[in-house]
Amino acid sequence: MKINFTSEQDAFRLEIRSWLEQNVPSKTLASLDTKEGFEQHREWEKKLNSGNWSMVTWPKEYGGRGLDLIEWLIFEEEYYRAEAPLRVNQNGVFLLGPTLMEFGTHEQKSKFLNAMATGDHIWAQGWSEPGAGSDMAAIRTTAVLTDGFYTINGQKTWSSRAAYADWTFGLFRTDLDSERHRGLSFILVPLDLPGITVRPIAQLDGEPGFAEIYFDDVKVPVENLLGGDGEGWKIAMATAGFERGLMLRSPARFQQTAAKLLQLYLDNERDCSPVMQAKIVEAWAQSESYALSIYHTASKMLAGGSIGSESSLGKIFWSELDHMMHQTALKILGASAELSQDSKHDAAAWIKGFMFSYAGPIYAGTNEIQKNIIAERLLGLPK
Amino acid sequence: MNFIFTEEHIQFKDAIKAFLKDECTPASIRSGWAEKKSFNQNRWKGLEELGVLSSNLSEEYGGLGMDQVALALMVEEMGYVGLPEPVAEQTFLINDLLDLLPAEMQKKIQEHHMSGASYISVSHPLAPNPLFLNESAGLLLFEEDSYQFVARHDLEFEEVASNDPSRELAKIKSINHSISSTENFEILNSAVSSRGALMTAAFLVGLSQKMIDLSSAYALDRTQFGKPIGSFQAVKHMLADVAVAIEFARPAVYRAAYSLADNNPKSALHCAHAKYMSSRAAELACKNSIQVHGAMGYTWEMDLHIFMRKAWSLMACWGNEDKQQDIIFNTLKSSKDELGVLYTF
Repeated sequence: MKINFTSEQDAFRLEIRSWLEQNVPSKTLASLDTKEGFEQHREWEKKLNSGNWSMVTWPKEYGGRGLDLIEWLIFEEEYYRAEAPLRVNQNGVFLLGPTLMEFGTHEQKSKFLNAMATGDHIWAQGWSEPGAGSDMAAIRTTAVLTDGFYTINGQKTWSSRAAYADWTFGLFRTDLDSERHRGLSFILVPLDLPGITVRPIAQLDGEPGFAEIYFDDVKVPVENLLGGDGEGWKIAMATAGFERGLMLRSPARFQQTAAKLLQLYLDNERDCSPVMQAKIVEAWAQSESYALSIYHTASKMLAGGSIGSESSLGKIFWSELDHMMHQTALKILGASAELSQDSKHDAAAWIKGFMFSYAGPIYAGTNEIQKNIIAERLLGLPK
Repeated sequence: MNFIFTEEHIQFKDAIKAFLKDECTPASIRSGWAEKKSFNQNRWKGLEELGVLSSNLSEEYGGLGMDQVALALMVEEMGYVGLPEPVAEQTFLINDLLDLLPAEMQKKIQEHHMSGASYISVSHPLAPNPLFLNESAGLLLFEEDSYQFVARHDLEFEEVASNDPSRELAKIKSINHSISSTENFEILNSAVSSRGALMTAAFLVGLSQKMIDLSSAYALDRTQFGKPIGSFQAVKHMLADVAVAIEFARPAVYRAAYSLADNNPKSALHCAHAKYMSSRAAELACKNSIQVHGAMGYTWEMDLHIFMRKAWSLMACWGNEDKQQDIIFNTLKSSKDELGVLYTF
């Protein structure tokens, strides 16, 4: 056991820090859920890629840096420390990318991975449907194969980034007589095909962070099938594992929020009830524990271990923590907590973060679904 | 950065786990209650033979030279079986601090330590009623600004009943003779407080794990409405909440132990963090475990309360959640410029 960074890891930290210091835009970009902001964030993806920083955990053979998990965590710490822009292509780089590497054909990898890294293809998720939310196996959108083309009909919803994205990936029912998890296939679909209608959905903050996608006899070549026909569920589970797992929810985000929350408290201490001290400590202690847990898990994985249903524990923990911290911030702000243009306390950012924190316990599998997974797979309770 | 245990850590832990599984059962704990003698000399001897009691003494004193990480893993296993004997106290609060004591006191303690009786009890404002004084060779007594070592025959005390019958506590009535000192008091006081927090934290993690295991087994076994109650989501979710709390207390305990071994200047904060997280986990484990057991959880017959009682005691002593919260808050306030993502390691 050695819970300190090596000199190589420190050197790597300085390398990314120096690049970020020189390249992170000094002016905050527009929200990535606006047309203008989306393109600004695409430019930022290109910029990251120009420094070879856009998909650092990808293996070198796919153009990445082949970073191990510890280096990835260092990268993220510096990324959040520099307050660099959100990753508009998170669905691509962190979810579809690793899935393609595991299940894709040679042609698919060469067609999609590079375009993803450069920001030329920004990806949306296409899992949920009006009748298939927590119960994802209830998917009804069909894809019928004839003459080398799938004909897709149906509707996807809550598709993150779909308002402006170039492509979507998702599950479609290719065996019309099948039920539940069987007969589903994982298909990649360009969003500019005839028959596709994208209807943006305004989120709680008023911006279209997700959208409905309607498919009306949309023709997609069979080459866009990822993995085997009917193997979609297995592949989607691997992708969902990436989402819940280490890749997306690095601890730096929550540690940074906890530090800002402490500063907000100290700036307003005279107006705060002493009860708020308890919340400040809770925020620090939990974000610290989350970081320790992730480093512990990353170390175990580097030593040859694997992560399974344990990622459900983390998903519940960080999403509840994130919400608690933002709720606390609003309490500290008092009457300023409704001012969406208050520059003194950065109230606008806290309010936006507060609203976003309500999404955490819902997306990537609601926390209630995660609790079922924990109870059934980790504690051995019956279905 | 390599946050995993060494082979040596794992082997040590496994050896203790295997011993305790057979030697420290709920039945043996209950028989200690019945005889009003929870300190089982045979078990203590067995642990001594395993090298556990002197595990963290240096090899020149016949120890194994184990670090605090090994001790934390050991104490977690002791928590899992609810071990009554004060091995955690002996290793963390006596062995680990010997080097900091004045030479004369060290010598005196070692005379007793090496003699047959071996166990030295501790009293501190955070845990004022010493444990198993009857079985001890002496007492290391911390007061507001000084500390003293008292041999057992120089002490008068009376027994104090604990809500956990496995904890035989005492209250000091008078001291006839002692070696007293103020030397290194601040350092020693901070060291013993941190170790008290960490030791109880590790024990609480083990207890919590035991409680959730007992509750999961019960939920699988007990049927209502024609199915195991563990198939109902209300029950599943209560236990999942406990699993989450334990998962995020555990690495805090391991890191705090490592900080002590590594002489990290922030070890006091890290130990406070460990106790804070594990107290909260244990509190939830108690609450939800008894609820999952239903009325059975409220009986003396069910083994669950063996572990709950110890958890309630250990949450309270060596600094409860609120005390740790104060330590954390004051530390954060004084080091706020360092906070953020670079602060953890």
